Amino acid sequence: MKREKPSSSGVVDSPLDARTQVKAREDGLPSVAEGRLRTYEPGDNRGRFLDLLAKRISRPLAVSMTACVHCGLCAESCHYFLARPDDPTMTPVWKADQIRKIFKRHVDWTGRIAPWWVKAGSVDGDEDLNRLKNIVFGTCSACRRCTYNCPMGVDTGLLVRFTRGLLTELGIVPEGVFNVSRDQWETGNQMAVTEEDYLETLVWMRDELRTELGTDDVDIPVDKPDCDVLYTINPREIKFDPRSIAHAAKIFHLAGESWTMPKWGWDQTNFGLFSGDDRLGAYVARNVYEAAERLRAKKIVISECGHGYRSTRWEGYTWAGYDQTRPTESVVVTVKRYLEEGRISVDPSRNTEPVTFHDSCNIARSGDLVEEPREVLQRVCADFREMFPNRRENFCCTGGGGLLSMAEYRPLRLEVGKIKADQLRATGARLVCTMCHNCVDGLNDVIKHYKLALRVVQVLELVSNALVLPASGERTKQSS
Amino acid sequence: MSDFLKILENEVQLAALAFLALVYTVRLGWIFRFKTRRDRTAAVGNERAGAGYSLMNVAMPWAMESTRKRPGFYAQFVVFHIGVAAAIAGTLIIPYAPGLFEIRPVVILFQAVVAAAFVVGLVRLVRRLTNPVLRRISSPDDYFSLVLLIVWFAAAVAALPNRPEKGEWPLIGYFGLTAFFLIYVPFSKICHYLYYPFTRFYLGRSLGHRGALPPKGTKGRKTRRAGEDAA
Amino acid sequence: MPHIELEGRRIEVNEEGFLVHPEEWTEETARLLAKAEEGLEELTAEHWAVVKFIRDYYVEKNLAPMVRKMCQATGFPLMKIYDLFPSGPAKGACKVAGLPKPDGCV
Repeated sequence: MKREKPSSSGVVDSPLDARTQVKAREDGLPSVAEGRLRTYEPGDNRGRFLDLLAKRISRPLAVSMTACVHCGLCAESCHYFLARPDDPTMTPVWKADQIRKIFKRHVDWTGRIAPWWVKAGSVDGDEDLNRLKNIVFGTCSACRRCTYNCPMGVDTGLLVRFTRGLLTELGIVPEGVFNVSRDQWETGNQMAVTEEDYLETLVWMRDELRTELGTDDVDIPVDKPDCDVLYTINPREIKFDPRSIAHAAKIFHLAGESWTMPKWGWDQTNFGLFSGDDRLGAYVARNVYEAAERLRAKKIVISECGHGYRSTRWEGYTWAGYDQTRPTESVVVTVKRYLEEGRISVDPSRNTEPVTFHDSCNIARSGDLVEEPREVLQRVCADFREMFPNRRENFCCTGGGGLLSMAEYRPLRLEVGKIKADQLRATGARLVCTMCHNCVDGLNDVIKHYKLALRVVQVLELVSNALVLPASGERTKQSS
Repeated sequence: MSDFLKILENEVQLAALAFLALVYTVRLGWIFRFKTRRDRTAAVGNERAGAGYSLMNVAMPWAMESTRKRPGFYAQFVVFHIGVAAAIAGTLIIPYAPGLFEIRPVVILFQAVVAAAFVVGLVRLVRRLTNPVLRRISSPDDYFSLVLLIVWFAAAVAALPNRPEKGEWPLIGYFGLTAFFLIYVPFSKICHYLYYPFTRFYLGRSLGHRGALPPKGTKGRKTRRAGEDAA
Repeated sequence: MPHIELEGRRIEVNEEGFLVHPEEWTEETARLLAKAEEGLEELTAEHWAVVKFIRDYYVEKNLAPMVRKMCQATGFPLMKIYDLFPSGPAKGACKVAGLPKPDGCV
């Protein structure tokens, strides 16, 4: 099999770093010992890869493998290619072809008999699998923009996730992907936050909020049964930026919501989405669903997080084989309802700086929310302006698909961030709002790298700024 | 008309068509062997509306940025595929409704349509040979299928007047290629139309279920800057 | 491999500017990282209070402290951490303190 000329980005040569995998095995971590989290071992990985490919492929993916006509229309939908127009290996079709050729060689018809005729090809060994790893993890944020731009309806975004899942079974993954998966398997949350730290931080935020509002009526309840809302968050909020928890608590308090956070099952993020590991996806999502069941909460509310929303609201139920029994929504939808029902009052003149909105891929393209955040922003900001293109056609923050946890691919990620930078700059806004923690970091990286005069905010922060507190315990009704 | 041509236009075509049907049947069986998963979430949108919208994509160049920004590419696609349809129709009209091609304007119309597709085919071939992205991804099948269609279009233009008395070679070429096509197609990229309903259905159903497709009403919404479409 | 120069020595950092070998950290490294990564011309006593706490915590537990712990130890309110380190506790303060890149969505 003739080897193709490698990509000029250099990303494909990134070696497999399995040091933390070896350590996890030596430490006898339960998730590794029990075979839930797979680690890399030399051996017949090629054979296992091919078996898994044939065994796991679903009908929608199989037709995505066969349907591509190599028309090349997807190229210009991808920010990687737009930023590197001289590099064909940045196109969605080339990336997808790297797995497609293996499918053609081993599962499809013509490629098995005359591989060269349809450019079918196999993998020689671990080196090739590592190269494939770098392509599907390092040169694609799985944003699905190409999916929406393929005339044939080929879902390259899902093909990439599928391939990631096969490699995850072999431990042929970027170190960061392994580490976060390990933490989520071992601790139930992707940042290895202990229960003690979790509870302490909630108490801290409650105390800060009590000081701010000058009342002891505010609470951040934990494991309170029979509430209307079970609020679940991203561990990043606990570990590094708990301000968003205080914002949510403030809004819930003023809206008179009956709510609680669970002691276990509070992480609504899900690295299974990024690693392609449905088993991890099922485990994490089930934790949330069972927390709601255990506490008899009426509804699950997900804090601002793109992949968490997609995982918990949409993919998780299917991964977990768990029929959805209760409404599961984004906190932005909850807040929108409060505004509509007059349960909270806001004054948009508190947010005067021009604000633009960045749609998260996982919410706009793989989920349902595009108008809801805009409706909220238009109520709480004085100067809201669109970014172009937007909604389902927005470009990725560059940090999607778990790329923020994979430092080795960062130079390429920032290089192709040029597309996002141009888009941000053209808005003339001073604030860019997003309902995704991942996008917050992705956008911050782009802003810093391209020296843009912008600050990243989230919906709850702007809502919290604009809140009009009721005078002496009486709720003021103010239309805005 | 020679017996050879007669057999080529009738029995050979039918045999090739039967072969195509047989392979497609097996192929569909192959596709259905792959499993699908049930969506366990409560729907926000409508699966049927999403699937329908997705399946109609072929006729909605405004639905995707990729075709919206390249109206020329979409126009080529339309001309090319109408040409294919006309050339296929020709292979059925000549043996089964030859009267139609005794009407001169009809023949000219068919020839014009197929000739336009021939030109588009050449443009597409040049594009595939010169665009670095397409060169990088194209397989021998991609080139062969396209060249074959171009040659077939040329043969069709020559054969459509259906005048075997003036020489049978154009018809032999046309029907010979058609028979070859019917046998080759199921194993090449040309059978992509068989997959289109599947990819489009599954994508549309899944995104329809979530309420992402069809896009919610566009009234008062601006998703792109004015003038962008002209790019 | 990206690196920073310190008195003629090369100190390797990863693609995000985090030290590859956290044990190479010195106070001088901290100053360089603060300037290169956070645009801080000099580190005040308040910066050092945060950085030293993070460093000690890391050396002892091989773990980045939660922002809660940083505030508790230094007595600073949360917003103060953001004022001191524009990139925040993870990508700002922990980086200057010479910790490796934290795992997860950051």
